[in-house]
Amino acid sequence: MGDKTDVWQGTLALMVLKTLEMLGPLHGYGIARRIEQTSGDLLSVNYGTLYPALLKLEQEGYIDSDWGVSDNNRKAKFYRLTRAGRKQLAREAREWSQATAILARFLVPGEERS
Amino acid sequence: MRRMRAWFLRFRNFFSGARNAEKDFAAEMQSNLQLHIDENSRRGMSAEEARRDALMRLGGVVQTEEIVRDQRSLPWLESFTQDFRFAVRMLLTNPGFTFTAVLILALGIGANTAMFSVVRAVLLRPLAYSQPDRIVRIASLWKKSGHQGQVSAPDFHDWHDQSTAFEHMAIYANYEMPISVGSGATATAEFPMTTAIASDFFECFGIAPAIGREFTADEIKVGGTGAAIVSYGFAVRNFGDPRLALGKALVADGKSLDIVGVMPPGFGFPEKTDVWLTEGIFGEETPSRSAHNYRVVGKLKDGVELAQAQTQMTAIGARLEEKYPDSNKTKSVAVTRLRDFLVSDYRLTLLVMLAAVGVVLLIACANLANMLLARAVGRTREIAIRAAIGAGRARIVRQLVTESVALALIAALVGVIVAYWGVKTMVALAPQDVPRLSEAGIDGGVLLFALVISLVASLVFGLAPALQVLRVDLNSALKQTVRRAGGGTLADRLRQGLVVAEIALSVILVAGAGLLIKSLLALQSVQLGITSERIVMAEASVPSTDLETAKRGIRFYSQLLPELRALPGVRNAAGTTMVPGYTSSNGIYFVDHLPTNFDITGPNAIFTVVTPAAFATMGIPLRAGRDFNDADAYDAPFTAIINDALARRTFPNEDPIGRMIFCGLDSMNPMKIVGVVGNVRQQGPAMEPEAEIYMPYLQHPQPAANMRVIVRTNADAGVITAAMREKMRLISPDVPAKFSTMEQALAENVAEPRFRTLLLGIFAALAVCLALAGVYGVMSYVVGQRANEIGLRMALGASPGEILRLVLRQALLLAGLGIAIGFAGAVAVTRLLTSMLFGVKTTDPVTYAEVIGIVLAAALLASYVPARRAMRVDPMVALRYE
Repeated sequence: MGDKTDVWQGTLALMVLKTLEMLGPLHGYGIARRIEQTSGDLLSVNYGTLYPALLKLEQEGYIDSDWGVSDNNRKAKFYRLTRAGRKQLAREAREWSQATAILARFLVPGEERS
Repeated sequence: MRRMRAWFLRFRNFFSGARNAEKDFAAEMQSNLQLHIDENSRRGMSAEEARRDALMRLGGVVQTEEIVRDQRSLPWLESFTQDFRFAVRMLLTNPGFTFTAVLILALGIGANTAMFSVVRAVLLRPLAYSQPDRIVRIASLWKKSGHQGQVSAPDFHDWHDQSTAFEHMAIYANYEMPISVGSGATATAEFPMTTAIASDFFECFGIAPAIGREFTADEIKVGGTGAAIVSYGFAVRNFGDPRLALGKALVADGKSLDIVGVMPPGFGFPEKTDVWLTEGIFGEETPSRSAHNYRVVGKLKDGVELAQAQTQMTAIGARLEEKYPDSNKTKSVAVTRLRDFLVSDYRLTLLVMLAAVGVVLLIACANLANMLLARAVGRTREIAIRAAIGAGRARIVRQLVTESVALALIAALVGVIVAYWGVKTMVALAPQDVPRLSEAGIDGGVLLFALVISLVASLVFGLAPALQVLRVDLNSALKQTVRRAGGGTLADRLRQGLVVAEIALSVILVAGAGLLIKSLLALQSVQLGITSERIVMAEASVPSTDLETAKRGIRFYSQLLPELRALPGVRNAAGTTMVPGYTSSNGIYFVDHLPTNFDITGPNAIFTVVTPAAFATMGIPLRAGRDFNDADAYDAPFTAIINDALARRTFPNEDPIGRMIFCGLDSMNPMKIVGVVGNVRQQGPAMEPEAEIYMPYLQHPQPAANMRVIVRTNADAGVITAAMREKMRLISPDVPAKFSTMEQALAENVAEPRFRTLLLGIFAALAVCLALAGVYGVMSYVVGQRANEIGLRMALGASPGEILRLVLRQALLLAGLGIAIGFAGAVAVTRLLTSMLFGVKTTDPVTYAEVIGIVLAAALLASYVPARRAMRVDPMVALRYE
């Protein structure tokens, strides 16, 4: 796993929210796998970083959790987006794309727009 | 918002879910593991491999749990509760220490909380009216003396009409007045505080009757029907249900008035008024500008500052002064916030008491710091071990501070109980007229105060012992098995310093209490000029609307007094309008002839109307001339009797008998002076006797209608009261009466000084007891520490007497130092008491000598027991100790 990057602090929450928006209610294992997959296996998500983020999101009321049963009949705790979570996701996504767009202008030189 | 929610959840988890959450988390991790294994299997791994891989990817569950746990709840709060639990266990292992410490601290906290509760109710809490800060009292201000007083009706109307700063301004007058309800056998009569009002009065307070309505213009006007509004309490007392009061009638001043309204519970302005009447029933307002018979209350307009209103009223006052120099010369207007006016008499007393009780708490803290210091020395080894196995110094200090906090919190609990009882006691002991005192109690604010002062106290007494720990040398502390002999360490000096401070503070309190006690004794030993023992008084009031009804009314007294004198056990009976503390009327007087234009700044005298035998009944000596008799009748030449003070002032080295005197009580008829009597301190013991003119009741029937009946008895007051009541009912069933004794009336005069003396006395006694305990503690410690030195001395031939002197000398040194500092402090601080003192100066040497004697004796007493213990030290044991 040496070539994988640990997920950056601060972006994990956004990834969790987006994942839950895309896939609906999901358990911790699923969230971790999904983020790794989406990143093209460039990121490695371990529970030591995932769970504090989940707990924080839950305490802030952006996600909610309940015990349920998985596809293959295993008991698991499912996290789902709340209404506040959706709003927060939209806000953060907007801010993030704005930030990356700004940064992109610095990193990709030339091509002055007319 | 979101962050607040998170904090709240964490705080809640701290109390509840923590354990469940941990179980839940473990289950979730287990489930994640299982999901991973399933997936690995699906991908074709062997069961063994699938499990191995999943476990590896799961990572350190314990570490994850650690991180999450800290985030789930509040870790510092958890370690605090841990410390707290340990602290409580530590306190329980040493119940003697804990009991003493909690007791000392609870007394301090309780006394402070109780005092705070009273101060808050009386001084701090806003009045329970709408916009209380805008309600003001408006009074006449005599510029020369700075005295503020009642208002004349014409002045009020000019103020009212010319000012723009007030939304409302209302005139009123209040007095205790006989009021009867019902008729015939069921009639009840009492003497409630009664207030005559015109319009706008209730509007000033923004309060309307809870039941019924306010007065109409027809009811208010002179010659109108008149009406009454009663307090909630009065309505319940007399009619059972306040709603039943409406439409009922009450009789006041001989007139029957309909009750049209009942005020909401708690409203009783002014002076716990029970009945508000329309002032029109008493006829026209007194038209004279120099008859100050009324009071004025007002409400400032929105946005008008007190200072602006004052400026405007001062200008109006100046205009009136110019326009009516005869009556308004040197008279201006004072506007005061109503609350400040109501509590002005008690502000200083209460603040001094609050300071005093704060000093008691300070002494308690010093005591506790001392006890904890001693204990910290005993715990040196325990603490060294903790440090040795890895506790940081900050952690240890925190542990010790937590112990202090635990102690303080337990003490706060007990203290609140002490305070509850203390407030009740103070309310019971306080003079009747302290405004709003009955509102004092234990509520949220007071509990918060108790919590805060106990936490502050715990820091004050807990920090020194805790910091002391930081100085402990780990190595030597671990090697030591018992505390080392010999003093001189910083802790020892600190302990002795604390005791010196305790003694100094208690000297200040005892000095203050001593001065107040001296004043009270002086007040009580003042010769009032009357013999107050065994005098029963009846307040009676006969109806008098005009001269004719008054003349008929006072026949009540002419019939009653001979019958009272005939009662067994009665030595004499009379009527008078004056008893000490209650002067009814005063004003200027002239001798020989009436001047053509009055100088209103001339000498004043108190005017009193009496029946014959009043002087004999009250024990006022007749110096010259004769007493009044029944020949001093309305159609006879008017007569008067003056007192020594007036004779000395107006007739120095002359014989006043036979001279003429004039005063404006009810007429300016010339009165011939027929006698001179001794002085009476009419305004109570603290005031010098004033000049006084006595007039016979038959010649002044209207003022005489309010005479009190006084009876000097040999018998029990209760028996006489019953007999008097019966006689009075037989003569005139509709004259209400209220009985008391002269001694009770006089006791009210000194109620306030007695209250503050008692309070400060209690606080000073507490302070001395605490200082006593402090000296005892330190001397016991010193004796314990010097045990082997003492043993050595005894082995070398010192006698027990020498050992006793050795210990006492050290105690005396501490006490002497404390007394010297306290003495200087007391001289500086007791100056605050100047206005409360009577007949004693703040630097009274006798008081200070007594104070020093008391504190010194207490210190010696406290060190005697440890000193005795030192005498009994067994040299062999003490020497083997090392």
